[in-house]
This record gives sequence, C-alpha cells and structure tokens, in this order.
Amino acid sequence: MTTERAEFFYHYTLGPEWQQQIVEQLGANLADNKILILPEEIASGGSIFLEVLPGLSVLLLDMTFHVPVAMTRIPTDHNYYMVYFDIGDEITTHIVEESIHKAGYHSKLGMSFMDANSKGTIMPPVGERSYSLRLFIEKSYLKELGASTRDLSINNQLFDETKNTLFFYSHIDSRSKVLLNNLKEQHFTNPSFELKLKSAALYLLGYLVDRVSRFEPIINKLSQQDIDNVLKTSQYLLDHLLDEFPGLQKMADLAGMSVSKYKILFKKMLKESPNNFFLNEKLLLAQKLLQNGDFNSVQEIAYELGYSSPNYFAKVYKKMFGLLPAEVLIKAGLSG
Amino acid sequence: MKEVIHQYGVELDWVAGLAAQLGGHVEGNRIIIPDEVHPGNRYILPINESLTAFIIDVNYRQDVVFKLRNTRSDFVGIYFNLTEGDSIHILDEVSRTAGRWGYNLAIFDADMQGDFQVKAECTTYMIAIFIKKTALKQYISNIPEYTQLVESIFNPKLNTIVRFDRMSNQAWWLMNELRKVSPEGPLYDVFVTGTVYGLIGDYMDQLISQEIIIEQVIAADVVNIMTSQAFLIENIENAFPGIAGLSSKAMMSETKYKKLFKKMTGVSPNAFFLSNKLSFAKEVLETGNYTIAEIADRFNFFGASHFIEQFKNAYGVPPKEYLTQL
Repeated sequence: MTTERAEFFYHYTLGPEWQQQIVEQLGANLADNKILILPEEIASGGSIFLEVLPGLSVLLLDMTFHVPVAMTRIPTDHNYYMVYFDIGDEITTHIVEESIHKAGYHSKLGMSFMDANSKGTIMPPVGERSYSLRLFIEKSYLKELGASTRDLSINNQLFDETKNTLFFYSHIDSRSKVLLNNLKEQHFTNPSFELKLKSAALYLLGYLVDRVSRFEPIINKLSQQDIDNVLKTSQYLLDHLLDEFPGLQKMADLAGMSVSKYKILFKKMLKESPNNFFLNEKLLLAQKLLQNGDFNSVQEIAYELGYSSPNYFAKVYKKMFGLLPAEVLIKAGLSG
Repeated sequence: MKEVIHQYGVELDWVAGLAAQLGGHVEGNRIIIPDEVHPGNRYILPINESLTAFIIDVNYRQDVVFKLRNTRSDFVGIYFNLTEGDSIHILDEVSRTAGRWGYNLAIFDADMQGDFQVKAECTTYMIAIFIKKTALKQYISNIPEYTQLVESIFNPKLNTIVRFDRMSNQAWWLMNELRKVSPEGPLYDVFVTGTVYGLIGDYMDQLISQEIIIEQVIAADVVNIMTSQAFLIENIENAFPGIAGLSSKAMMSETKYKKLFKKMTGVSPNAFFLSNKLSFAKEVLETGNYTIAEIADRFNFFGASHFIEQFKNAYGVPPKEYLTQL
C-alpha cells in the first residue's frame, strides 16, 4: 500500500561512510562518495555531504519526497554533535475555508543541537521541498572551541557527559539565516558550490559557538525521555499560540515531571522560561499576521491571538520589535 | 625608506624571514612586530596541503617597499585588498608610481616579481591566499566554460596568470565579517577558513563571466601597462590619446598592448579610459558647482548630449536625474 509510511533506520558518521546505509536500504545512487540521489519514486532532488576539516562535516539536503517515509536516526556512541538547520519559513500561515478570521498556521523552530546518542525521527512532508543543513562536529573539537569562549571550569562541566547533556532547540539566529538563504540561491551544480558550502558550514559553526557562549550554562543530564517530554510541551505551546498560556502546573503535568524540574529542563533546552517562550512565539506569529495582509486592523489580530487588550498587545509588541503593530500592519484590502 | 625583500608560498618557510625583515618574530600563527613600527594583526593559516592564507590588518607608521621575490613557482597568489589611504603601488626602475584605479583584487603567478610600496599612515586590510597551481587548476577545470582552456592557462610557456580586478559585494562582506572576529584562539581559524573558501568560491563565480586571454607576461609588461593606466588617468580630461601613442610609450606593438591591457584588466584601453572619465566627471557633477555643458567641455566630450548619453549608458540614469537622486 502506498499510503503506508515506509520506515527506515540509519545513523550518521563524521566521514562519508554513513551514506552506504541509504544506498543499501533505499537504493540510492551515490556519486563521488558525496552526492546521494534517491530513486525518483521515493524522492527527487538529492543531498551533498562534505568533510570540511578534521572534526567538521556538513550535509545539505534538498529533496521533495513523493511517498511518506519515516527516517529514524538511531542513537550511536559516535563522537560527534549534530546541528540541524531547517531552511524554510518557520511560521507558515494560510487562510482556512475562505474566512479571514480563521488563519491556519504552523509554527516550528528551525534549529536544533543534539548529541549523536539522542534519537530522532523525521517524517518529511510529501510533495513539498525539504531543504535542510546539518553540521557534524567532533566532540573534542567543539570542546576546544568552547574553551576559547568561556571559563574553563564551566566549559569542562558542560562537556562532562557524566554530568551534562548538550542540547538545545531554537530559532535560527539572524546571521545564520542570511547565510543559509544565500546558500539556498546557489545551485548544487554550480562549480563553486562545494567551496561555498564549506564556507557556510564554517561560518555556521563560528556563529553557533559564539551564540551558545552567551547561553546561561545549565548543567544537567537529559534522558531521551526528558528530551521527548519537554519537546512535547514546547510543541504543545507552538500549536496553541492563539490561546492563553496554560500555566506551569499543566505544562509540567503534560511533561510528567515536577514543576521545578520542568522549569529547569525547559530553560536548558529552549533557552527561555516556558512563559517567555510562549509570549515570544505569540509575538512572532503576530508579526507574521500583521505582514500577511489577511486582517484589517491591529485590534482583530490582538483578539485573534488571545489578547484581551489591544493596547497591551501594542505595548509588548513594540517592546520586542521596536515598532508599533499599526506601523507594520498590511491591511487585507491592500495586499491583493 | 624601509625595504623588505621576501617571498610567499603555500609552505610556511617564508614566514620567519618576513618577520625578521620587518623587525619582528613569529609566535604561533602570528608575526609579531613591535607596535611602534606597524601595529596590527599579521596572521598566517595553513588551511590544507595546497592552501595557505595570510591576513594583514595593519597600520603603517613608515613607508615600506615590499619586494616580492618568490623562489617557488608552484602557486598563485590571490590578493583581496581593502587598503585605505595612499598605499600600494608598483614601481618601475626609476620608482615612478602607478596607481591602482579601484582594483582591490589581484591574481599573480608566483613567477611574477613585483615591488609594492606602502605609504606611512595607511591602513592595510588584505587577505592573501596562496594556492598550489595544481589545486587551482582542479577548481578551474570544474567551470565548464574553461575545460578547453585550462591546460593553456597553466602552461607557463603559453600563459602567465596576472589579473587586476574588483572584488564582489559578497567578497567585501566576507572580509568585513571576518574583521569583526577577535583574532585570537581556535574560533578565529574557523572564520578564516570559512572566509577563504568563500572568497575562492566567489571569485570562481566572477571568472565564469570573464574572457581569459592566454598570453605570457613578464614583470616589465605589468609595470608598463600600469604606467600606461596612470598616463591615461593623468590625461583623463583630454581626448583618448590613441592606441599608437600608448603602445609605443609602453614599448609594445599595438596588438600586444591591446591584448595585455585586456588580459590584465578585463577591458580595452578605450573602455578603461571612458569609464574612468565618466567616474571623474560624476565626482565633479556631484559637487553641484558645474553645469552639464561645463563638465562635458572640461572632460572633452563631443558636447553635452554626448556626455549625457555616455553617462546614461554607464550609470543607467541621465546626469540631471542622477543629481536629483543624490
């Protein structure tokens, strides 16, 4: 049956050898040990994998899947971290059933950082372009880079796997976004493409190290279950941005942990408190709705987003973006 | 004037010699020179077996002449140069200077000798990339337009790699992005390597749209062409001097002169003259002190309408409209 989701399991390696699994399991064609092309009935497009320097590899994937698949990255004890960038709109909105008051939207975070020993399943959308970039960074190399940005004893604790798990899930920072969008305009077949991909990979690594050096260090072990449970709650918040914040107790219950543990783990993984995370995401959605041209007034959008006071909405919006929502609003009548 | 005779290369055996001649020493990847002489950053990073980068971000406190005398001929130097101030010149035997006319990118075969003068008080920010000819050949052979040419380009009996160019906005952005990074620690190496790959990739894009002229060039030819450019700039308000006079001044046949001029700069002498004429005229226009007719007359156009037409061709808008857009 074509409706059944084809499942397959794989893991990455710092070197190119992981690609053999795709060749063997999915019948992909591997060229030059770096370019993978899946059989056309599964997906069009391809991926390119490069070793950038000892300790850093990059995978760029540009594919449109034609059948539903579930790709599960199985935990391995390989000695690397993976950074994942999903290069596409982080918030997508569309009008539901011709009614401007029912904006359907989908919100997601485009960047995640994880240990090779954590598990993940990706179910790429069918018939839609998936464009993503992954960095694979050898653990000892990242530790060395980290040591140049922060106090040595904190760095040692952060990289001590008996005490701490490195993980975060966030938006792509604006500098990285500029790079990735530039890269997206380049064609795989362009003779300079590999050099540009390597250049982008190195800059992304540099920006990453710079960015995480400003994170508050929270030393804590995370089990796979902790990760899954907290991400379940952040996704819940992203899926309910039009509502009010459900309250910490309810979120902790959803995660199946105590409020105090939940607060720490959420902050460790999402880099914000659950409440701030929710409010910021709400405002990011507000920005999108203001610019989309589906509404006629700031008031409508404020109510759509669950603010009881449009004035309060205007105030918090200005605090985050520096402009009043009315200065950003594109009215429905003007967009068409 | 301080004179520094030195060489470059992908291998690093030249570093200590250069440091010593500048009165400094080598510390790790860095050439340390006493701040009172030339404060700033000089950083050398070997990137792989065929690629080395040299980053120079320095204030010069005295005039220096750098005499590049490579003993290796297995590499090409690509120099991305954002120097501010009165700086790099190529000198001939009688030390007459020739300017750079907006070139901020130069590509030189290692075989090419050159003397470069840096004036006191100028700030040099340059990324020099030394790349083995074998590796550059590999990169260039990936460009479909060049597969036929690549053997000739790298045959020293047929061709010398020498080119003056302008870097792209992307290259400029990369260099400035790197400049924001503190030149300390392993993170700097990450950004340097990323910048170097980006600069080479970007220059490859630039190459695709260029015509490559296969011809041997010696250092004296480079000086003669540069001197000829300086002569054209000195006479920018006059009519075009004519190829016959220019080529005899440059001590070449007309054919060779036109060929080398185009090979090194990408444009014909005439196009070089006209685009600079328009650029100078535009500067005068921007002062707002002259009428279009006066400017046309001063720069020896056939008349105001000729000037307007040429200006529009070059900048997309007629001079009057350009002024109102300022």
